[in-house]
Amino acid sequence: MSNIDKYTNAFVETFEVDEQTAKNLKYQEIEAWDSVGHMGLIAALESAFDIMMEPEDIIDLSSYEKGKEILAKYDIEF
Amino acid sequence: MVEITPANIQLWSKLGSCGAYGQATLTLPNISDKIVVLTADLCSFSGLERFKNKYPERFFNIGISEQNMLGIAAGLAKEGFIPFASTYATFASMRCADQIKVCMSYMKLGVKLVGLTSGFSVGILGATHISLEDLAVMRSLPNITILSPADCLSVVKAVQAAAQIEGPVYIRLSGTMNNPIVYHKDFDFKIGKAITLQEGTDICIIATGSMVFTSLRVAEILKKYKLTTKVVDMHTIRPLDTSTIKEACKSKLIVTIEEHSKIGGLGSAVAETLSLEEKKPPHLILGADSFYAHAGDYNYLLQTYGLTTEQIVEQILNKMEKK
Repeated sequence: MSNIDKYTNAFVETFEVDEQTAKNLKYQEIEAWDSVGHMGLIAALESAFDIMMEPEDIIDLSSYEKGKEILAKYDIEF
Repeated sequence: MVEITPANIQLWSKLGSCGAYGQATLTLPNISDKIVVLTADLCSFSGLERFKNKYPERFFNIGISEQNMLGIAAGLAKEGFIPFASTYATFASMRCADQIKVCMSYMKLGVKLVGLTSGFSVGILGATHISLEDLAVMRSLPNITILSPADCLSVVKAVQAAAQIEGPVYIRLSGTMNNPIVYHKDFDFKIGKAITLQEGTDICIIATGSMVFTSLRVAEILKKYKLTTKVVDMHTIRPLDTSTIKEACKSKLIVTIEEHSKIGGLGSAVAETLSLEEKKPPHLILGADSFYAHAGDYNYLLQTYGLTTEQIVEQILNKMEKK
C-alpha cells in the first residue's frame, strides 16, 4: 500500500467515512472527529507508519491536508 | 460501539486512564438502564464528552462541588440508579470523606466513585492535586470495594465490573496519557482475584495501578542478576486476595509497589495479611515517603519519590544483599 493510501485509510477507518470525504476533513467538522476521535486517528497513523508523534504535532494535526505536511517531518513522503 | 479490540486498546492507552474511563462509560447503558454519570465540572477531562452527547438525560455536571456531587450520587443510588461519579482522586477521597463515610460506607449506597489522576498524574498542579492517600482513606472505611486497575483496558474492565455489583465502589485511576499497556487482549477481570502476570521464585512483586507495568520492567532487569520474579497485579485492594499473598510467602522477598503513600495503601494491606502468617519472608514496601515534593511533571515526581524502574531495582537489590 502506498503512503498516501495508508494515510487516507487511517482517516477512513478511524472516522468511518469514504475516501473522498476523508480528503476534505477538518478537526471537529464531523461528530467522529472530536478529541477522542483525534487520538484514535493519531494511534492509527502512528501504527500505520511506525512513528511516535510529538505532542505539538498531535495538536497541530487539524485537517487531512495539514496532516500530510506534519508527517513530512517524520520522513514520510506522499 | 466500544469493543475490546487491539485498535481500541491502543486508543485507550493513548487517551490515558481518564479517557479510558470516559470510553468505558459508553458501554454501561448496555449493562443497565439505571446507569447515570456525574462529574464535578471535569466532563472533558474525564473523557465524558461522548457520553454526555449520547446520553444527555443520564449525565449530570454538578459543577465544582464534589461533596454535593457525592450527595446527589447517593440520593440517586437510594432511588435505584447506578451512579458513577468522578473527580480528582484527592478531592474524591479527602474533600468528600464525610459523604463517603455516611453514604457509601455506613449506608452502603451503591455509588461508584472514580478517583481520577491518582498519584502524581497531575503533579504539575502541586500537592493540592497529588493523591497519595486515597487508598488509605478508603481502606479505613468499611463496605467499600476498592479497585486499582493496572492499565487502560483494566480501567474499562473495572468500570464494567463495578456496574454489575451492588454496593459502593471506589475506582482509583493512575498514570498519564500514553499509559503503558499491561493487557494486550481481553482478560478475565474478577473483583477480589489478583492476576499473576509472570512466575518467579526469588522475589514476588505485588503491585497495583501504574506500578504494575513498572514491576514487569523491574522483573526483566532483575533477570540480569539471576533473580526470577513473580509479578502480581493486585487490582482489587478490597476485598484483598489474601490467598495470593499467602502463596507469595514461598518467595525469598515480597515487594509491594504503589504510586501511593507507603502508609495505608497496598503495602499496609499486604503487611496486615502477612502479620498473621507464621512463616513469611521479608517484606519491602515501596511507595511514596511522607513528604510533599515540589510541583513537577510525572517523571520528575516518580524520580523524587524513588519510584522509577531503576530506583526500584536498586532498592530490591539492596534488600536482597542485606539478607
